[in-house]
Amino acid sequence: MGKKNVISATICLVAALTIATVTGKNFMDVKAPDTLHPSANVTETKMLSDYFGDLKGTNSDTPIYVFKGSKPGGSMLILGGTHPNEPAGYLAAVAFLENVKVDQGTVYVIPRACNSGFTNNDAQEASPQYLHFTNKNGQERQFRYGSRAANPVDQWPDPDVYIHAGSGQQLSGSETRNLNRCYPGRPDGNLMEKTAYAIVQLIKNEGVDLTFDLHESSPEYPVNDATVAHEKCMDFAAEGMLELQMEGINMSLEPSPTNLHGLTHRELGDYTNTYPILMEAPNASQGRLRGATNEEMALTGKDKFYVSAAKLGFVYVPYDENGHPIEERVGRHLQGIIEYTKAFSSIHSDKPVSFENVPGYEEMFTDTDPSQLGGPHFGSFLN
Amino acid sequence: MCIELIIFIAMVAVFAAGCFWLKLPVSISMVISAIVGALIGGQGIPIRHLVEGTFSYVDTILVIACAMIFMKVLQENGSLDALSCMIVERFHKVPALLLCLIMLVIMFPGMITGSSTAAVLSAGSIMMPVLILMGIPKLETGCIIAMGGILGMIAPPVNIPAMLIGGGVDLPYVGFEGPLALLTFPLAFLFVLMFGFKYVKHLDYEAIRQKMNTESREKYGFRNYIPILVCVFLMILNKAVPAIPDLGMPLVFLISAIVGLFTGKKVPVLKTAKEAINTVLPVLGILMGVGMFIQIMTLTGVRGFIVNVCLSIPDAWRYLAMAISIPLFGAVSSYGASSVLGVPFLLAFLAKNQVITAAAISLIASLGDMMPPTALAGIFAAQVVGVKKYTDILKKCLVPAIIMLVWATIIIVFSPQLAKII
Repeated sequence: MGKKNVISATICLVAALTIATVTGKNFMDVKAPDTLHPSANVTETKMLSDYFGDLKGTNSDTPIYVFKGSKPGGSMLILGGTHPNEPAGYLAAVAFLENVKVDQGTVYVIPRACNSGFTNNDAQEASPQYLHFTNKNGQERQFRYGSRAANPVDQWPDPDVYIHAGSGQQLSGSETRNLNRCYPGRPDGNLMEKTAYAIVQLIKNEGVDLTFDLHESSPEYPVNDATVAHEKCMDFAAEGMLELQMEGINMSLEPSPTNLHGLTHRELGDYTNTYPILMEAPNASQGRLRGATNEEMALTGKDKFYVSAAKLGFVYVPYDENGHPIEERVGRHLQGIIEYTKAFSSIHSDKPVSFENVPGYEEMFTDTDPSQLGGPHFGSFLN
Repeated sequence: MCIELIIFIAMVAVFAAGCFWLKLPVSISMVISAIVGALIGGQGIPIRHLVEGTFSYVDTILVIACAMIFMKVLQENGSLDALSCMIVERFHKVPALLLCLIMLVIMFPGMITGSSTAAVLSAGSIMMPVLILMGIPKLETGCIIAMGGILGMIAPPVNIPAMLIGGGVDLPYVGFEGPLALLTFPLAFLFVLMFGFKYVKHLDYEAIRQKMNTESREKYGFRNYIPILVCVFLMILNKAVPAIPDLGMPLVFLISAIVGLFTGKKVPVLKTAKEAINTVLPVLGILMGVGMFIQIMTLTGVRGFIVNVCLSIPDAWRYLAMAISIPLFGAVSSYGASSVLGVPFLLAFLAKNQVITAAAISLIASLGDMMPPTALAGIFAAQVVGVKKYTDILKKCLVPAIIMLVWATIIIVFSPQLAKII
């Protein structure tokens, strides 16, 4: 090997090591969990591994915040962060647990249901790594923006085809890391199947009556501004949806497809006694038609390409220059939780759940100075 | 002119200048163009994004590297020669049928893994000596293997692009077998006969026999076929019995290669493995460069700009836009094209039958594997047959590619009627 080759090889090697060190540190740093500040009314903090020991010590173990009311009643579970690239699903659970006071029954909140997905970002999606807010005390809070599915470092390799264990349904191999395609889970399955299994054990052991799974979807996805509910939920879900519409929230109610397996609204309804509800809000930052991808887009939902796509009729939600700010998306979820819980408690009067101090759609979005939307106003609900 | 278009033009210009003017490797040109795109987009040099983008192809890279090791072992240990002799001896009296059977064999790994690379590098390399022995020139042989690879990737039962497109709209992968069979098998038989029949219709078996290398077959007999049978067995094991964990294609190829070390002629292990990796290294580099390129396109909004331009074309031209844009985007990845463009186009054709339309779009997306600079099917087919310029294979496959596009479009147009039949 000539002298010039040695020099150029050395330069390349040093450059590669430097890049590996810098990016390696960055990729390790995002594994640190966000610090959450539950309201003073939290009664207990458990871990998901308390319901299935195999998760202990894995990146799928995640905190469960328990709020017990002073009066006995039913019980309710809120799943945030099933897909960590859908920030309103995660942040609605955070806003709920940092403000709630439960009066009757018990509420369980898992803000990071797919904890593993919070430890990386999807390659080629160029997602922001963090979302930043200023809380009610003027301090900065940051929250992870993660990947749709579990970190491949935690569950790898993907099979060519993912076969859902309970139904034999075939999906592309990468869906094997999608928590919301793995229900009801398996104790001897892969990490996501074990995670789904642990959540099912929580529901069974604690007798959870009502379960919310909070999501976002790209504006071109047909199921948007929507609630998807198992058929056994339809009585109270219809009542709740009417209430939401009366409050000016455009919400459709769709029955859980019987031929689409592995999702909460199908499997939790079939395999447990809980009543599962899934809600979707529009998120441009996960869409295929979006423009430059950054934190601002994730928080404001403003995107010129979605505005033009809406004019051409390619999106399933109204889209204009105002976008869909995080306050609107979180507010939809929180108001949905409020109304569906009220409707559930009214119809299932033997297992009522009631709570207060959770900001609703008006407080979070419609009554707000527009200049404060896109993050600042949401921050004012954080501890 | 919008900023996204300026960035896109700059990225393409820098890439072209790197490749054709500075004569840099394709992979390096892609890295430089990604950096330039980020700079113009006001992102500085976003090292995190550049590195993160490359991770898309880690699995693909492992499959390619291990498949090439497997192929080289089969070449060295005499298995390929033995199998060629056996097939030609048994089927030389019915050359058209023989060609169709060979095409099905080439397609098989793609049909069960959803990967054209797996098909080209495994069954393609196994069938290559047979086709050459029959008198088909290298170039046409490469074309047969390349088209067999991409049609195998789309043929049922496993079609990853269709799964990705369906997944984007929550369309379960159910009922795809009929449409996919209709889309692929007639074309597969047509193409293999187009490329090969004129050379084999008057097959002179005696002349072929003189050229056959029968040494391995005579010396090792059935043992020659064991590594191939192990590979096929491991590929279908998890599909036949889902309870058995999927070993993954890299491990399947490595296990089969290790078995091949003990079933035929002695193989210099390190030399063969090194040669295999050296052969595929440029392609692996291209994949990493492509990963960076797409991540920067997404970061700067260029990806969204391209998708919007394609969708905003008037209805009457939308078929044409799909037929051009999806294969072009497939130049970076056929899977990526399926997800990024396939889903919006499926939604744009909501009035059509969803399953048949998704299946037909997946056929169009498969052409991405024939689109430079990645052109995985074309590049590896050229390597398998020993054609120096893979672009010669791409040029020769232009007519079949157009036939595929027309076929897929016809199927979409008539999908409501077809849905009543299949």
